[in-house]
Formats: sequence, C-alpha cells, structure tokens
Amino acid sequence: MLYIVTVDLDNAAFCAEKSVLRVVVVGGTVTDIDKLAGSVSNLQAGFESHRYICSSQIATAVYLAYQLRKPVLVEGPAGVGKTELAKTTAEMFELPLIRLQCYEGLDEAKAIYEWKYGKQLLYTQVLKETLDEVLQGAKGFTESVNRLHEFGDIFFSEEFMEPRPLLKALNEENGCVLLIDEVDKSDHEFESLLLEILSEYQVSIPEIGTVKAKAEPPIVFLTSNNTREISDALKRRCLHLYIPFPDSDLEQRIIHARVPEIPPELRRQLVTFIQELRDLDLKKLPAISETIDWARTLLLLHTESLDANLVRDTLNVILKFQEDIDNVDAEITTLTNKAIKN
Amino acid sequence: MDRTLTSFIAALRNADVRISTAETLDAMSAVELCGYRNREFLKDTLALVLPKTPDEKYTFDETFDQFFAFEDVKGESVVTVSDGDGEEAEGEGGAGQGQGGAEGEGTEGRKGGGKKKKFSAFEEQQDEEDLGPGEMAQPRSTLGKLLMQDSRVELTVNMAAAAKEVSLEEIQVFTQKGLYTRKIMEEMGLADLQQEISVVRQSPSIPDRRLGQELKKRREWLREQVRDYVEKQFLLHADATGKKLREELLRKVKLSNVEHRNFRLVQEVVFRMAKRLVALHSRRKKVFKRGQLHVSRTLRHNMSYDGSIFDLHWKSVKIDRPKVFAICDVSGSVANYARFMLMFLYSLEEVMPKVRSFAFSSDLAEVTDLFERNKLEDAIAKTLRDYSGGSTDYGQAFEDFRNKCLDEIDNRTTIIILGDARNNYGDPRTEILKEMYDRSKRLIWLNPESRNTWNVGDAEMRKYSAYVHQAEECNSLTHLERIVGNLLRTIQ
Repeated sequence: MLYIVTVDLDNAAFCAEKSVLRVVVVGGTVTDIDKLAGSVSNLQAGFESHRYICSSQIATAVYLAYQLRKPVLVEGPAGVGKTELAKTTAEMFELPLIRLQCYEGLDEAKAIYEWKYGKQLLYTQVLKETLDEVLQGAKGFTESVNRLHEFGDIFFSEEFMEPRPLLKALNEENGCVLLIDEVDKSDHEFESLLLEILSEYQVSIPEIGTVKAKAEPPIVFLTSNNTREISDALKRRCLHLYIPFPDSDLEQRIIHARVPEIPPELRRQLVTFIQELRDLDLKKLPAISETIDWARTLLLLHTESLDANLVRDTLNVILKFQEDIDNVDAEITTLTNKAIKN
Repeated sequence: MDRTLTSFIAALRNADVRISTAETLDAMSAVELCGYRNREFLKDTLALVLPKTPDEKYTFDETFDQFFAFEDVKGESVVTVSDGDGEEAEGEGGAGQGQGGAEGEGTEGRKGGGKKKKFSAFEEQQDEEDLGPGEMAQPRSTLGKLLMQDSRVELTVNMAAAAKEVSLEEIQVFTQKGLYTRKIMEEMGLADLQQEISVVRQSPSIPDRRLGQELKKRREWLREQVRDYVEKQFLLHADATGKKLREELLRKVKLSNVEHRNFRLVQEVVFRMAKRLVALHSRRKKVFKRGQLHVSRTLRHNMSYDGSIFDLHWKSVKIDRPKVFAICDVSGSVANYARFMLMFLYSLEEVMPKVRSFAFSSDLAEVTDLFERNKLEDAIAKTLRDYSGGSTDYGQAFEDFRNKCLDEIDNRTTIIILGDARNNYGDPRTEILKEMYDRSKRLIWLNPESRNTWNVGDAEMRKYSAYVHQAEECNSLTHLERIVGNLLRTIQ
C-alpha cells in the first residue's frame, strides 16, 4: 500500500510538497508497526487477524525481536509453522519479505554479494580503446599509473555489484523481514559469515567498505530443523524460540483459522486423532501442516465424522512414509474410536 | 533488581544451562523491557533469551518455577482469601479484634480464613489445653509480631533477608541443611520468640496462654517453611564441583563398571567429547582440483589477466564422506562397552555421517535403521534387547557379514570391530576377516579386555590380530576418545 502511494507522489508535479508528504507517509507506517509491536497481546491479535494462531511465547519472541533488534532463531520439528511465522510477520507489518534458502555449499557470493563479472569484463574491453585518450601526453610509466589512479576503483563500485538477499535486506529503506531458512543445512563457514550481519546489521565488503543497514534494521528470522547443532556463537546472538507441536486446544484454533469451513465436531475429532498419532513411534510425526491438509481433504470429501475406513484411505495425507502407514494401520480402528468418543 | 537476575542466572548455570556474559546483558535489557510485574511474560521473555536448546528450556522451566516461587506465595494467599469460609472468619474475628483495631473488620475476617488453611497441619497438636476462642494477648517479640500479622509475603521477605544475611547461597552439601535452617531462624529472631513463648505459657492470664499456643503453632509452621526454603535454595545453589569430580572419575573408570544411575552423566560426557572432536575435525576443507568449473569465480580471478582464462577455479566438490562400519559384539560381557561405543559413534554424526552398525552375539544383524528412527538411548536399548541373547559366535557373525555387505566395503571404508574375541572354542573363520582386511581401508579391533588377557582361554585375539590394521584395548571413555580421535584423523 505504501508503495503505491509513493509512486503516485512520484508522478506529482510539485517536488517540494512531494518530499514533505513522503515523510508523513513513511512516518505513518513506522508508527503503525510500533503500535502493533508495542505489546504482546497486540501482536497476538495481529497474528490472529492474519490467520496465524500463536502461543504467547511466539508473540513474545516477535515482540522482543522488534524491541531489542535481535534476530530470532526458530527451531522445532518440520511443519509447525516456522517459515510461516516469518511470512506472517512480514505480512502483518506490511514489510517486504526477503528470503534466503540455505543449502550445503551456500557461500557469500550467493548470500551477500557478487560482482557483475560479465559487465566488468565488457566494460574493460570497451574502455580499452579509450585508454589511449586517457593516457595521452603522459610521460613515463609512473605518470600513466597515476593518471589511472585518478579514476579510482570504478569497477569495484556499487554499479558493478549484484546484491544478494543479505545485502538487499540491509539496503531496504523502511526495513524488511529477512528469513534465513534452514540455516542448519548450510556449512559451518556460512554460519560465521552470518555473525556480523546478525549482531551489527552490517556486512564488510573488502572493495567497498562496510555496508550498514539503512534507518530500520531488518527483523531477522532464522529457522532450523536441528539436523545439526548450530554453533554457540550464532545462538548467542539470537533469541531462541522453540516451537513444539501444539496442544489440542491450540491446534483446534489453528484449524479453525485455516480451514474455517470445517464443522467443529469433525475438527475436534481429527485433532484428537492427530494428537494420538503423535504419541506413537513413527518415523515422521504429522505436523500442523499435515493436519491442515487433512482437514482440507476431509472437507473435500464432505465428511461429517471420522470412521476407520475413511481414515485408512486418507492416511497418506498425514503420514509420509509407507512404513509409518503400515505401522499405524493395525491401530486405526482404536484410534478412530478414541477420537470419536472423546 | 539486577541482582535477582544475576543470581537467577547463577542458579541456571548451576543447573547446567550455559549462559554467556553477552546473554546476561541481553537478559537484562529484555527484563528492562518487560519488567517483573507479569510472571508469565517474564518467563516467556527469559526463556527466549537464556536457554538455547530444548533440553535447556526444560531445565529453565523448572529452575524458573523454583527460583521465582515467591510470586506463587502471593498468588496462593490471594486464593485463600477468596475462598476463606465465613464461619471460620467469624470465629477468629474476636481474636482479630484483640489484635488491635487498626485494621478493618473485613481484612481480619479474611485473614482468619487464610490462617485456617495454613495451619491445618498442626491442628492435631492443639490437644494440650483447650482454651476456646476468645481474646488473645499481643505478642511482644519482633518475630512473634511478624508471625501474628499473618502476612506471608512479609514473612517470606524476612526469610529471604535472613537467608542472605547468613549467606545461604554458599551452601554446599546436603548435611548443611539443618544448620542453615537453624541459622536463618535465629537470624529472624528465634531466641526472642522462644523466650516469649515460655513466658506467656506460664502466665496465669488466659489470653496470654492462648497467644502462647498460637505462637508455638506458628513457630513450627515457620520452621517448616524455612526448611523448605533452604531445601530449594540448596537445589539451586549447591555447588557443581561434586558433579565435576564425578565426571572426571567416570572418564577413567572401566565402562563395564559404570553404574546404571550414572548412564546419563556418561552420556553427557560422551556428547561433550564428541562435540570437541567434531569441532576439531569439521574445520578441514579441501579444495578439490577437479569437478565442475566455477565460472564466476574463475572469471573474477582472471580479470587481472585481461580476461584470459588462465587461473582455473573449481566448484569444490566434496567427495562423499568416508564410510564407517561398526560391528559390535553385544553379548552379555561386552554389551556395556558396545553401548558406549555406539553412543560415541552416533554422536559424531556431523563428521561421520555414514556410520553403519551391526550387532551380533551369535547371528549378526544390521541396526543402522534403528538408530535412524529412534533416539540414541532408545536405539541402544533396543539393540541390546533384541540381539544380546545367545552365545557368542564370531565365525557365524563374520559369515553373516560377508553375505550381507562385504561387497559394499571399498577402499574408503573403515571397519571397527568391538569385541573380546571370545569365541567359545568355535571356528574363528579368520579367512573372512582377512577378506574384510584386504578390501577395507582400515580395520580396527577394539578389545575391552586388558592386553594380557587377550589370548587367555577361549579368546582368539592372536589369530584375529594378524588381519587387523590396529588392535587396541578400549575400556574407558578416555580410551574411546583417543581411538575415535585417531580414527577421524586417518579417515579424512
């Protein structure tokens, strides 16, 4: 919304007025965020209006992240809404979301910046011809070099730099939400690379110097699935939020927010079933995302109430391993009955 | 207020939650923001700043509840106020009037209700002399006044102050609990109270005697409270040196002698050792001289050569990491060693992701799957449960191994065999071991027995040791650490 307004103003003829107005508008959004992030209950309500139901712990994490300007490291099993949290935060604050997906072998050229080597090369070739003009009249080697020095390091200026997610996030004028997803998938070295940006909101580029965040530093979320231990140095710089599987009550509210069409009785049944399932010894436990998918499936099938056959047919929505499905198969009837009775 | 926070952090550290100075500072600024007013909010806040693993969060929860228990006391008294029954309030109302009319009728009644609950435990002592309800004399000693005031909050504050005075946080061993309880009581003015009680109990006036009874009851109650408080503080502050000492010992003790109750501790030690090894060995990164051309990097580096490609750079491809096959004898005598060895190997997952493990006593079976699916402790327990029966037969185990996966052994594979080589006089089948030896990069035999018993009785170590690259005695955590450390050095 803010963006559109600014574009309109750009087209306006009166430059003086334009600049004044823009300040007002920008100021407006900033106070909005301030108000929203001013208390935990505000945040919780805000999340809820964006269909993200969260515990007070999660809201507190966002509150602290905003107030203390600290990144949040979010851990928890897959599918509990770690990435969703960052997305919703961006949506709620009406800030752009910049996402960096981590993987093995990710390095600074892909995460922070890269020189536009093609452009650099092209320009060198083009400028070769003009070199003679520049050096005209220069006597001796020293003088030629000195003349060249007058041009400075043009090739290593921002013109030739390709910003990657981390640098982009720092360059956002009004702040943004930066999501560094699955940081545990990256290498150890990459973690150390993150340290500077996480604690100081700046990156050092040897050729240019230090790039600091613009007025508003980004709100940073890091997510991890715990495939490996994150280094202490990184943890130390972050708030640490652990999102466990939700309890039955919370999960029902989540389903209600996400799949509002589903009848309350069925909702209760399917949540109870999933909760029971999580107590079993499975390779991959069903997470919230699976519950939501299942709710949608059941809705699609016009289900009124769970029954063993239906569960058996739709089990592949919630369980992702054939082995798990086989294991659960024997207990479906008991579990379903439990879910219906409760 | 900062002092509260730092002592809370000290308590957390004591409970094995690692908190750095930077995090302490973070906690302070966070607390400045959220304040101490709302307990839940405070807990949420600190839970985000201080503990950094799920385990630590759990410890944090417990420690927090213990440490900030005062809040609970307040809450409790509020609850008792609301459900104080009318009848009791009436009965005690008279006593309240005797206490001096400074406070309103309503508060007196409510206090009575609260009192009833608190002192119910001591009700049975009342049998000595039934004086009935009625007027009661004023207490004179400070502690007496405090006790009769019925303000738990004030009492608790007083108790904490006294505890600080006698430096309760220095308590070290549990035998000191009684001592500290007494010290705190004395600090709070026990002597005066005793004096008063004995005086008023002798007194001819009935209100005085009533006071004496009441004071005695409350003194006992206070003692209970103080003892409770000391207990909690002991748990929070008791020095961890005892634990350190035990850990130190555990590293050296023979693994088969580790008692069951110490398993958890051993596991912690193992994890810590493993973590150190991981830190030591994960830093290495080779730049490989083949693979895919890293176009952008090559071009960038060759800009200085006028764009002619001259200095090539490659996408550093990691060669698939070395494989480790662990074959563990899990029969009775060696089971304990197997437990720790598996624990160690799987704790090293980060640097040795491809551990395949096999367990046998008579028949051999692969247990890699178990470890993938279950938590480490569970997997180990299941392995030992399922495979430890039967008498040891190394020949059969090797035979099984050959059938199962000899083909998968190549020159990057390291095989570790853990066992005492006691074959019950069966056929040792050394030819299979030789085959394994020839195919693998390294074959290491870890024997939990000490070297001089290796060839005694039915042990076949002499025959086997011809076909291993390395045979080591391995029966304590220190041994294990050294061997695995060497292993990591050679396989990378």
